[in-house]
Amino acid sequence: MVVSRKLLFLLGPVAGIVMFIAVVWMATVFVGRNEYKDPYRAPAATADSTPRAEGVAAEKDEAEKKAQEKPYAEAEYRRFPVVGSRVAIWAVAQLHLLFAAFVLAVPIFAFIIEAIGYKTGDPRYDRLAHEFSRLLSVSFSLTATFGAFLTFMLIILYPKFTNYLMSVFSPTFLPYVLLFFAEAFFLYTYYYGWGKFHPLVHLGLGLGLNVVGTGIMMIANSWLTFMMSPSGVSSKGALISLTDAIYNYTWMPINVHRFIANIAFGGSIAAAYAAVKFLQAETDEERAHYDWMGYIGNFVAISAFLPLPFAGYWLAKEIYAYSQTLGLTMMGGAFSWLFIIQAVLIGNLFLAANYYLWLGMGRVEGAQPFQRFVKYLLAAIVLCFMIWATPRSIIATVSEVRAMGGSAHPVLGFLGVMSAKNTAVNILILTTFMSFLLYRRTGKVASVTWAKTGHALQLSIFAAAAFVVIFLGVYGYFVEASVRIGLSVPQVGAVLLAMVSITAIDIFLFRKPRNTGAVRWGRIPAISQYVLIFIAVTFTWLMGLMGYVRSGLRQHWHVYGIIRDNSPDAFTPTLGFATEVVSVTVLAFFLLIGFVFWIASLHDRPDFERGQSL
Amino acid sequence: MTVPHSVRIGALVLATTAFYGYVGQLVPQKEVQPPPEVAIRSDLTTADMVPVGREIMAGKGLCFTCHTIGKTGALRFPDLEGVDVRAKSRIPGLSDVEYLAQSMYEPDAYIVQGFNPGMPHINQPPISLTDQEILCVIAYLQTLGGTPTVTLRTTHRYNGGTAAPAPGAAPGGGAR
Repeated sequence: MVVSRKLLFLLGPVAGIVMFIAVVWMATVFVGRNEYKDPYRAPAATADSTPRAEGVAAEKDEAEKKAQEKPYAEAEYRRFPVVGSRVAIWAVAQLHLLFAAFVLAVPIFAFIIEAIGYKTGDPRYDRLAHEFSRLLSVSFSLTATFGAFLTFMLIILYPKFTNYLMSVFSPTFLPYVLLFFAEAFFLYTYYYGWGKFHPLVHLGLGLGLNVVGTGIMMIANSWLTFMMSPSGVSSKGALISLTDAIYNYTWMPINVHRFIANIAFGGSIAAAYAAVKFLQAETDEERAHYDWMGYIGNFVAISAFLPLPFAGYWLAKEIYAYSQTLGLTMMGGAFSWLFIIQAVLIGNLFLAANYYLWLGMGRVEGAQPFQRFVKYLLAAIVLCFMIWATPRSIIATVSEVRAMGGSAHPVLGFLGVMSAKNTAVNILILTTFMSFLLYRRTGKVASVTWAKTGHALQLSIFAAAAFVVIFLGVYGYFVEASVRIGLSVPQVGAVLLAMVSITAIDIFLFRKPRNTGAVRWGRIPAISQYVLIFIAVTFTWLMGLMGYVRSGLRQHWHVYGIIRDNSPDAFTPTLGFATEVVSVTVLAFFLLIGFVFWIASLHDRPDFERGQSL
Repeated sequence: MTVPHSVRIGALVLATTAFYGYVGQLVPQKEVQPPPEVAIRSDLTTADMVPVGREIMAGKGLCFTCHTIGKTGALRFPDLEGVDVRAKSRIPGLSDVEYLAQSMYEPDAYIVQGFNPGMPHINQPPISLTDQEILCVIAYLQTLGGTPTVTLRTTHRYNGGTAAPAPGAAPGGGAR
């Protein structure tokens, strides 16, 4: 029997009401049955007073008196059911931070892309920026919701500690709320005012949105960095200087690190959105548009990702400067193996980002000469990845340890130290940068008169940077610790200098290039889009993991060295457990971001019309 | 049959997170409990203090996060093998007990050549060893190349005792 959809549509609410009534009825019956009822007693007037009844009455009076006299006692902790307070706070904080990162990042590159569109007059950029910003409004609501959820959870589960943080940072809360209002104002005017104002006015709104968003992030960062590297308070926790409490050791490195990481993360999520739309596209035009959007999103993500390790170095340096104990707990103690997991993630990111670029060469006519370099780049990346993921000490049985002469492998152990790892990650960055340069050269030839000299100069800078990195890496094995620690700075400096100078030369070199082949947007294998989604998931998981180490590093301290964690959750869990929590949180995030994508895609749907089937 | 893209994307997200979760299970698993408070009885003998000091170094003191015993090569912090021998002669005028106490209460006062400053003040947060716990640690350190001499009544300049003993003072006992 075929039931019409309209009939089903009518029956739906009726069924809903019937089910609601049934649930209420069942709840009433069950509650009524299980409710405690006093056993039947004869009315007082007819019952004889017995010593037992008098005793019961006296006990009742005593209990009531005690209850009335009970003083108010502030709870230090409350327990969250099943998973415990720490995991509950962890998951909510992580989801809040992931959405916050996305909401802060998208306006940054939407603003830059819109500015490029205004400067070049190319309407494609404006459309692209608008499409990116379409993801913002729902994400902003989710960020605020998770922020409120996190605040309530902190007040409920950790009331005493939350009270302490509020007492130290109370002057920062009002500006924070006011900035949040300003953020809402700028965000909604920026999105809904697209095309309604003069482009410069609209760009001004975008700038305001970014400034306010960064301000919000910096205020929130002061709270969490204070927990890790407190300053401006006495050894008992009394506030001495709010300025010092805000401007603690790790505040500025975290601000910079998060600012860059947010862009990388936001770019990867926006690229994943484009990938989903590409896969769902039905026309070549749509495919071309979303291929381009995915490319830009990924370009933003990887461009921000390349300098991220340098910001990470700075943060680690400040952690060591604040407390060697904290630094050594991070790199040599309970968390040292976490950095092997991090190496797997970052290695995968580099591999996937390069693979996407190499696949992208296929969409440019005449790219074949560059594709022959891919195998060498792949070999360099895999080698660096393997070195980076080599642990210093090997998990082994007692007999194996004896055979090796220690927990470090006699040969591979040399790759497990920082000299080797710093070298590997710097070469990895240079190799990825080389992939970018090759991709940029597909389909065009430099036409300036000094092209040959320019190319030679770029190659020389590249080779010099690689030489400095490898030389200092090897040199590090032959010097004392005090010298070796300082070698990472010139290594990083050489790579940064190379990237900046080569890019500067490249801009002038390809100012008016001679085109040798057209870019055929949309002509890329579907697997490339899955690579973009893989990159987004890996970025998200990496953020979850590094968020855990930043917070977990305090171990049994709420505020390191000042306010001790006396709750049942004060222990540091195993890395296996931590990665399980991160995985579940990442899955929850992608379920929610799927919802954001779906809401954003409703914009393209035709309006519902009367007479249209359900 | 063609698998819809949404199913493939879901499977990719699930497989990627599961893979990283699996990688997390492959590394050594260690749950770190907050350091227990070590109750030090007032009647501990010097011999009793040695194992207590060893236990404090491995736990609450966090000493072995940085220091090693009997390891050579590219080290970030000084190895403690034979430390008592060096402690007796490292700073003229300081006994081994005074020197070891100084290295814990005032770690930047003397930096071993080839290493950077980095030792935290052991009597302050976050480690916060008590004076008596530090004496136990000294007792253990004295066994590394020497014979323990400290008792719980040993005083030095950091626990209410006198200033550093004059040059030529008898090594080993600390100021009493």
